[in-house]
Amino acid sequence: MGCKFLGATALVAALALGSAPALAQPTEITIWSWNVAASSLKSTLEGFNKQFPDIKVTVQDLGNQQVFDKTLAACAAGGDGLPDIVTIENFEAEIFWNRFPDCFANLKDLGYTSEIQAKFPEFKRTELEVGDVAYAMPWDSGPVAVFYRRDFYEKAGVDPKSVKSWDDFIAAGKKIAAANPGVVMAQADFNGDSEWFRMISNEQGCGYFSTDGQTITINHPACVATLDKIKQMKDAGTLTAANWDEKVQSNTAGTVASQVYGGWYEGTVRTNSPKLTGKWGVYLMPSLTADGPHAANLGGSSLAISNGSQHKEAAWTYLNYTLGTDEGQIAMLKSFGLVPSLLSAEKQPFVSEPQPYWDGQAVWADILGTLPKVVASRGTAFQSDADGIYKATQTKYFAGGYPDAKAALDDAANQIASATGLPIAQ
Amino acid sequence: MQLRNRAAYGFLAPYLLIFAAFWIWPIISSFLMSFQNTRVNPWVFSFGANWGRLFNDPAFYNALKNTMIILIIQVPVMITLATIMAVLLNSPLLKARGLFRFAFFAPVVVGEVAYAAVFRLMFNLDFGIINKLLNGIGIASISWFAEAPAAMALLIIAVTWRWAGYNAIIILAGLQSIPGDVYEAATLDRVSKIRQFIYITLPLLKPIILFCVILSIIGSMQLFTEPFLITNRGGPGGGTETLGLFLYRQGFTSLNFGYASAIAYTMAALAILISLLNLWVGRDEK
Repeated sequence: MGCKFLGATALVAALALGSAPALAQPTEITIWSWNVAASSLKSTLEGFNKQFPDIKVTVQDLGNQQVFDKTLAACAAGGDGLPDIVTIENFEAEIFWNRFPDCFANLKDLGYTSEIQAKFPEFKRTELEVGDVAYAMPWDSGPVAVFYRRDFYEKAGVDPKSVKSWDDFIAAGKKIAAANPGVVMAQADFNGDSEWFRMISNEQGCGYFSTDGQTITINHPACVATLDKIKQMKDAGTLTAANWDEKVQSNTAGTVASQVYGGWYEGTVRTNSPKLTGKWGVYLMPSLTADGPHAANLGGSSLAISNGSQHKEAAWTYLNYTLGTDEGQIAMLKSFGLVPSLLSAEKQPFVSEPQPYWDGQAVWADILGTLPKVVASRGTAFQSDADGIYKATQTKYFAGGYPDAKAALDDAANQIASATGLPIAQ
Repeated sequence: MQLRNRAAYGFLAPYLLIFAAFWIWPIISSFLMSFQNTRVNPWVFSFGANWGRLFNDPAFYNALKNTMIILIIQVPVMITLATIMAVLLNSPLLKARGLFRFAFFAPVVVGEVAYAAVFRLMFNLDFGIINKLLNGIGIASISWFAEAPAAMALLIIAVTWRWAGYNAIIILAGLQSIPGDVYEAATLDRVSKIRQFIYITLPLLKPIILFCVILSIIGSMQLFTEPFLITNRGGPGGGTETLGLFLYRQGFTSLNFGYASAIAYTMAALAILISLLNLWVGRDEK
């Protein structure tokens, strides 16, 4: 039996070698990723291998900073040592394209047609494509929403549906803090991040740079209004300072009534505060005016194929399955709450299902419904310069270092101009 | 070249090659890089891109200011504490001397990441023990990570906690090298303990203290781990960003190697300048 079986295998192998050598043995591809992102990639492998049993995918979970550092080092060394696929965060993506234009493959050469491109929203692709070259395929995105404690709002008699503008948010915050001693309305990472500015300014159609990445727009009126509003919220006690970990601690301890973040925060709330089932809900982000867009994006990643990969075709096949099909994207949404940027995934039944943790609210339908309204925000290759300068300006402005928000952002714009050499938009 | 020398250089060659490749070459290369605009592909020579920017960059002056604050406040405080600790450790009245010596030295042995995590927890706004203690004596909670002055104070506390014991051990070694008969003679002359400390101990310790000061200054100039880990990469908004962190941010998050090189050379020049100043201040007057 054993002998016969062996002979048969050899025969099949010989046949395969003769006709299609690529299929003779499974092609192995490797992916660098991190934490929840890596886990969610693994959750798609079962479905993928049903369709493509010949491609063996290995996901390496290196941690976020490690992937960035190692990819950077590998690209600087001419692409040596890179895996077939690398996970790249959108906001730092352009650093790679700009500095190492030959490190990653042009996906258009591998089958990334304009039909497939059209399956993703424009704002997700802006940072991943340079002229005619598409360096990476959009993965998840971060449509912003307010995650709130139903019981705290109820006790204060605040109907989340009535919170339409940030002024409403401030007023609601006062009521909620009064009705629930020891509870703050919301938290912002004033210590180490700029997430509130990036969320609200994106909602208002403004950002550090123009969408074409050629000019600095941080001192535009919409951005000035954003910073002004954030200061108002801070001064009113609506926003208190807390970093990522402290926000999670407050969620679990019940000392915060709302968190505003990208949709991927769903998984963070659900998995870190499992005992609070049924207590949390989601509503659309307020805007500067009640009839504003109520949609913005924060965060999100993409997958790129290294130019040195020996198996670009197989890597592309995996990308197209995981990111380009509803099946792949929904698997990741279900398991780890990664919000698909694939537009068609929005129409999948799972999205409109009520979620038990969220008291039966169909949170994904609400969160994903904002995607078409999100406008592009450009990170550019100078993202970290601009972000560092913004954070310093924000701290100085809060401490009374500028007469008003306009003066603060004018100064920030000048500093970004001297750091990057880009002109300030008129 | 004499035959003897040739053999010697032959034996030295492996080391010299490695030294040249991994020390001399990077030093020269980064010097050249500091004159290049590394934001364009390929890099081009441009004096103004980095050196011109450096002296007009508010972020550089901010980092320089923060480093200087640490230098001017933390180093003297720590060296004074270390001297007091050393004198107490040297006291003949002390029991269990080995235990205390280890206890003072222990912070250096603790991993930086571990102690940074513990400090972050202790100084947490809502749940940290420090704020609870402050509340206990009627002081309002301090937002240690969100207010720049508080964050700077926290940084100074952390660095002092970690390195004071280390310096105390070095100063203790210096104390023990002072011969006992000097004190004996002073005691016979009825010189008080405090006067003995000021007129005997301190002058004889001067070279050791100077050594500790220079080491601490160089350490402060390169301070990186604490502001990176404890105050979240120099937060809030650059409030605790040191020169080392500023260099790292420019080099490895903004990928601007030319500018980072210019910063590195400025830091080295400052460190040399300050050390020379120190040696001059502490020179023997003859």
